Amino acid sequence: MDNLNNLLQGFADVVAPMNLLLALIGVVIGTAVGVLPGIGPAMTVALLLPVTYGMEPVQAFIMFAGIFYGGMYGGSTTSILLNTPGESSSVVTAIEGNKMAKAGRAAQALATAAIGSFVAGTIGTLLLVLVTPFVVDFAVSLGAPDYFALMLLSFIAVTSVLGSSRIRGFVSLLLGLTIGLVGIDSVSGQQRLSLGIPQLADGIDVVVVAVGIFAVGEALWVAAHLRRKPAEVIPVGRPWMGRKDWKRSWKPWLRGTAFGFPFGALPAGGAEIPTFLSYATEKRLTKHPEEFGKGAIEGVAGPEAANNASAAGTLVPMLAIGLPTNATAAVMLAAFQSYGIQPGPLLFDREASLVWVLIASLFVGNLLLLLLNLPLAPAWAKLLQIPRPYLYAGILFFASMGAYAVNAQPLDLFLLLTLGLLGFAMRRFGLPVLPLIVGVILGPRAELQGRRSLQLSGGELSGLLGGPVSYIVYTVVVLVLVWPLVRRFVVRPLRERSA
Amino acid sequence: MSSEVNDRIAEDTRPSGEGGDRAQYAVCAFLALLGTAVIVDALGIPHITSGTDPVGPRVVPMILGVLLMVVAVAYAVDVARGGRGEPEAGEDVDLSQGSDWRTVLLLIGAFVVNAVLIERLGWVISGTLLFWGTAFALGNRHYVRNLLIAVTLSLVTFYAFAIGLGVNLPAGVLQGIL
Amino acid sequence: MTVLVGYVPSPEGEAALRAGIDEARLRDEKLLVVNTSRGDALMDTRFAQEPDLAHVREDLAALGVDFEIRQVLGGRDAAEEIVDLAELPDVSLVVIGLRRRSAVGKLIMGSAAQQILMGVNCPILAVKTAS
Repeated sequence: MDNLNNLLQGFADVVAPMNLLLALIGVVIGTAVGVLPGIGPAMTVALLLPVTYGMEPVQAFIMFAGIFYGGMYGGSTTSILLNTPGESSSVVTAIEGNKMAKAGRAAQALATAAIGSFVAGTIGTLLLVLVTPFVVDFAVSLGAPDYFALMLLSFIAVTSVLGSSRIRGFVSLLLGLTIGLVGIDSVSGQQRLSLGIPQLADGIDVVVVAVGIFAVGEALWVAAHLRRKPAEVIPVGRPWMGRKDWKRSWKPWLRGTAFGFPFGALPAGGAEIPTFLSYATEKRLTKHPEEFGKGAIEGVAGPEAANNASAAGTLVPMLAIGLPTNATAAVMLAAFQSYGIQPGPLLFDREASLVWVLIASLFVGNLLLLLLNLPLAPAWAKLLQIPRPYLYAGILFFASMGAYAVNAQPLDLFLLLTLGLLGFAMRRFGLPVLPLIVGVILGPRAELQGRRSLQLSGGELSGLLGGPVSYIVYTVVVLVLVWPLVRRFVVRPLRERSA
Repeated sequence: MSSEVNDRIAEDTRPSGEGGDRAQYAVCAFLALLGTAVIVDALGIPHITSGTDPVGPRVVPMILGVLLMVVAVAYAVDVARGGRGEPEAGEDVDLSQGSDWRTVLLLIGAFVVNAVLIERLGWVISGTLLFWGTAFALGNRHYVRNLLIAVTLSLVTFYAFAIGLGVNLPAGVLQGIL
Repeated sequence: MTVLVGYVPSPEGEAALRAGIDEARLRDEKLLVVNTSRGDALMDTRFAQEPDLAHVREDLAALGVDFEIRQVLGGRDAAEEIVDLAELPDVSLVVIGLRRRSAVGKLIMGSAAQQILMGVNCPILAVKTAS
């Protein structure tokens, strides 16, 4: 029951007036930036990182919790009111949500999304509290070879499971690993790829990479392809739901949560798959099949809950093992690192109060989000009227400010621009950006763990095979790698023969 | 049964017209070059190994360089076989027309101006130029209004972050005035 | 000859449209309905979407007015577009709607109505909403 005490202590810290105010500010700007078209949760967190630079870590993380859930929620508002979802995880919400809005039920769609997000977020955070200690216990028992294997699995998973083209995923991953290589080798003290530039000896800051790839790259990409015709936006009233809507929503919320959380916690699970699964399930179980495709409330309630629960799920491997499983978690990890804090099993020993404050703020932020979003939805919708020149000028302005503020050196601004152009090129050629960010963050740590493993074996490659965990992980890696070949040479011929 | 879902995905990622995308070979060339650069750099690192570090700092860059070359070749093969990545779609993105390079170049210009001037003139002035310049590049022609917004934004961020929160932002020539 | 009306889907815009219809019928002239957007925001409440236009078309057809609807997505302000279109040789009258603006609002945002009043050479009819 130690954790419960810690959590209660965390709550006690959060409800101090100053901290509560920070949580509120975090939720407000997180939602506001998340609602803005073209800004997803990862970019929201990356852009808002510098806002917290001057703060104590505890305060910064209270604010981050708000930004995290606020940014997740903001995206769904846009996808209901417009038929153009910003992120792949909101695609499903938009299907029924936009139809509902067009049929004059925008208020109910927004309400079921907001309340569903709250329910899923709260249950998800509760599960986070219950599950994480076990994952930490497991993670403490892991040695360097196991960590190396897990990171290798992360690399393989983000490149192979997500996205349509594995080769493009690998390109992105290798670019990220190369960026991660820049700077002084932490073991031997030798400079690598620093091109003789002294500022590069410390490496390229992850924050600069994240802001460059997500914010600057996106702004340049959109600027080159600006849509001119205003979209049709459905007028919003205050979100509300009738008794019938509640009755139809609560089961999808719970089922969506059950899909979302475990997928979020898996390497490369993400929010995409559970939202699709939730949608398919609700479509099968509904008593109103005729409404699907025309605006069924279950089709908004389930996927939206799945989306938020998966956001809570991503925090489990992020906090307990230090493995980011989606872009937002990757940026959150960068935020930890910018405070010199390394997530992983030791985090719960060394920075226990910080972790529990973060978790308590997730609960509080989630509640604030609900209180704020039900009355404020019409105000959020007004943000869509901001002219794009100001929107993207603002993104570049805050991106530059944040990147400069990391190290106070103009070189970072040139790096930011270079990375922005790289992000632009990646969007042009359909290269996924997540593997790059994961490569930058995990690359140096994977190398460290790999070399530590080999140190134990005196350089023999057998050192990479540690305990049973690494055997299991390598088996999974091989399966993931071999699966497409199996499908091409075994499954397909079999199916064709039977057909 | 989930045909609706699939339709939408197909719609979102439809290729924007013409067949092969030859510009992808440039990416392959870039990867090969990067791989070469990584290997050359790695060869320049002294090969130091010790009891605590039997691997040394050279091995990982070498592996990475080789992998980059391998992936460059594999990518080229994929492109030759007709593979292509879909340009990223989005709320604000209209892929039916070509790229607007003038806007992109102007944005890069505004960005570089800020990077060059930030330490000399300070964030308030360089940030104003950045916001005004990018708004101009993106096609907004309300020069006076934009200047007011830009100055306000720069001043507010400077006071809030540099003075309020102690974030590193240079005062530049306005040192002592702000 | 043609009566040009600046149309916005709002009470002011509707008032202008009504006045424009009356004038066009009185003078037995064609009605040119203009709606513009700078097209620089994801959402522009002053841009008439299809349902708005459909109801305009319906009304005009029912009243038997000879009309044309023109939507301009130019990246320029509505006032500039209307001043330009008013230069067309056969425009005899421009009809616009006025809305209340505070002094500060005018200072910051400028006034489209003022720009049109100063820029257009033919007679202008400016109408307010009923209230």
